Amino acid sequence: MIFVIDDDPSVRRSIKRLLGSVGLHVEALGAPKEFLSAEHPNVPSCLILDVRLPGISGLELQRELSERNLQIPIIFITSYGDIPMSVRAMKAGAVEFLPKPFRDQELLDAVQVALQRDKIRRQQEAEITLLRERVESLTPREREILPLVVSGLLNKQIAAIIGASEGTVKVHRSQLIRKMKAHSLAELVRMTEKMGIGSALR
Amino acid sequence: MVASPDVAMSVSYDPLQVALSVVIAVASSYAALDLAGRVASTRGNVRATWLACGACSMGAGIWAMHFVGMLAFHLPVPIFYYWPTTIGALLIAIFAAAAALHLVSLKRMGVRYAVISGCILGCGVAALHYLGMDAMRAAATYQLRPGVVAAAVALGVVFAIGGMWLGYYFKGEPKGTQWIRLGSALCMGAAISGMHYTGMASAVFTASPPSDLAHTVHISSLGTVGIAIVILMLLGTTIAACAVGRGFDARASRLEVSEALLEFTHVTRLTVMGELTASIAHEIRQPLAAIVTNANYSLRELSTATPNIQEVREAIREIVQDGDRMSSIISRIRKLLRKESSEQMELEINEVLQEVIDLLRNELEQSSIKLTLELGDALPRICGDRVQLQQAIMNVVLNGIEALRSIPRERRQLLIRSMRNSDLVVIEVMDTGRGIDAPTAERLFEPFFTSKPHGMGLGLSISRSIVESHGGELSYHPIPQGALFRFSLPAENESSSG
Repeated sequence: MIFVIDDDPSVRRSIKRLLGSVGLHVEALGAPKEFLSAEHPNVPSCLILDVRLPGISGLELQRELSERNLQIPIIFITSYGDIPMSVRAMKAGAVEFLPKPFRDQELLDAVQVALQRDKIRRQQEAEITLLRERVESLTPREREILPLVVSGLLNKQIAAIIGASEGTVKVHRSQLIRKMKAHSLAELVRMTEKMGIGSALR
Repeated sequence: MVASPDVAMSVSYDPLQVALSVVIAVASSYAALDLAGRVASTRGNVRATWLACGACSMGAGIWAMHFVGMLAFHLPVPIFYYWPTTIGALLIAIFAAAAALHLVSLKRMGVRYAVISGCILGCGVAALHYLGMDAMRAAATYQLRPGVVAAAVALGVVFAIGGMWLGYYFKGEPKGTQWIRLGSALCMGAAISGMHYTGMASAVFTASPPSDLAHTVHISSLGTVGIAIVILMLLGTTIAACAVGRGFDARASRLEVSEALLEFTHVTRLTVMGELTASIAHEIRQPLAAIVTNANYSLRELSTATPNIQEVREAIREIVQDGDRMSSIISRIRKLLRKESSEQMELEINEVLQEVIDLLRNELEQSSIKLTLELGDALPRICGDRVQLQQAIMNVVLNGIEALRSIPRERRQLLIRSMRNSDLVVIEVMDTGRGIDAPTAERLFEPFFTSKPHGMGLGLSISRSIVESHGGELSYHPIPQGALFRFSLPAENESSSG
């Protein structure tokens, strides 16, 4: 799903036509507020955004999206090719900054990069959601020993820390690994790293 | 022929030579007044050169007047002149003239400087006079009557002050001052002559044994004529040089002014365009981007097995449209940038306004300014230069846009309207900005007055001069919320407007 925001109807029509011809689904919009109120289907998407727009500028929209935690890769297009502006846009995470007029291949490549980036981000997000759900399914005791297990402590050491018998810890540990659907301790460690919760729970 | 020692010798004057001396006095006065103007209106080395030449010819003139006056004076005995003293007298005259010319041409010259320079010149002339008399060698001696001497010096000083003041008064070299200058030269020349002959009258000559005639010269009547001719030629050359110099200056400055004005409006137009370059680039790149993208799409589509001909046709149709759009943008800019002298034609004010707004539309949109256009119906045409008028209007509208940028977006409004007011066509540009405070408003149209950190302060002054050159008026009117600028331009006669 590609969103194109440009106040010039000719420009957005031509981009829609080009991207449409390679089989992409394109939504062409005239102003940022149309984008904010538009449907955002849960498919890899990207935003082709004119830098200068009436009302709120492309850069302002980029900031606002990140404030709203609306993550979508942005390809800036501009007819004001000024360098400080492009530097700012790229620093704020834009995929590409294309001065108008751009070559069709440049735009198509940038769109592919952006969609790929969004796809990976969405996969990661889905994975994290899944892992979070698994963590949710743990008992409080299991959640307590999770960070201790992933930090490489032995059952005996964990037992000493939480004040339980080594046998109890052993049961919890095997439950924990089963519920998290990890095949090894190493995999469990990677999972917690992905979620970024290893250190948070410690 | 030798008179008795105690009896005053009878003296006589040659009227022709007296007249000649007066002519020289008047000519040298005229040259002096002329030179004061020249010296004052030049600077640096040129000024120093004028000052030196002026001092020489003026000093020589006074000196010549004195000696021609002396030759007009006849004693019953032959008179010789001791030439070293004579040369000394000339030098004194030149120095006095230089000092007086220098003072009179100072920028801050006032009554005080006129008095000082008058004293210097007057005393210089007096010194020359009595030194010149001292150079006399004849079988006669003279005694001075102090009262008459004082009167002669006072006469010289007072008239020199008057002359200097006149010189100061004319140093601006306004037009039509030649006759006044000639009149004052007559006065001053008469004063110098008067001083000379009063000075002569202050001396009572008595016979004495012949004095030492070493290093003396006798000046014949032929010599007198020679001196007079040389001096008059010198003065004539000086006056001619002044006239030529003045002519050059005037022509140069006239040329400079008109060329500078043309260049200047061009430059400010470029400056305005400079402010708009980003907008212009944007305006051109937008359709260009659409053209390139549509063309690329068409190429791609046509190289597929089953091209969507309908869509390709649509894309190409849009390419043509955007091409037209680009060419109209370019011709609009070219019209505005073209450097040409004024071109008067009948204009439809609404068209003029519309073109300005087209150029500024992007600027307005970028700043989220809501533009309201109220164009009057069936307005009479005006006669003028389209480009100049557009520039005048553009400056005012750009100012309005700038004023609006400092207030919240939702309150940014610009109203441009055209209407008819009896035989005037009126354009009003009204913004809802913060308005203009009273001290700024007073100086709004002054050149180089600006309230912007990077402004040149030329926009509004140029706008006003353009409007005034069209026989119209540009005025500012404070309104409760913002600023109102009103252009009033005379309408063309109904009959001539088709």
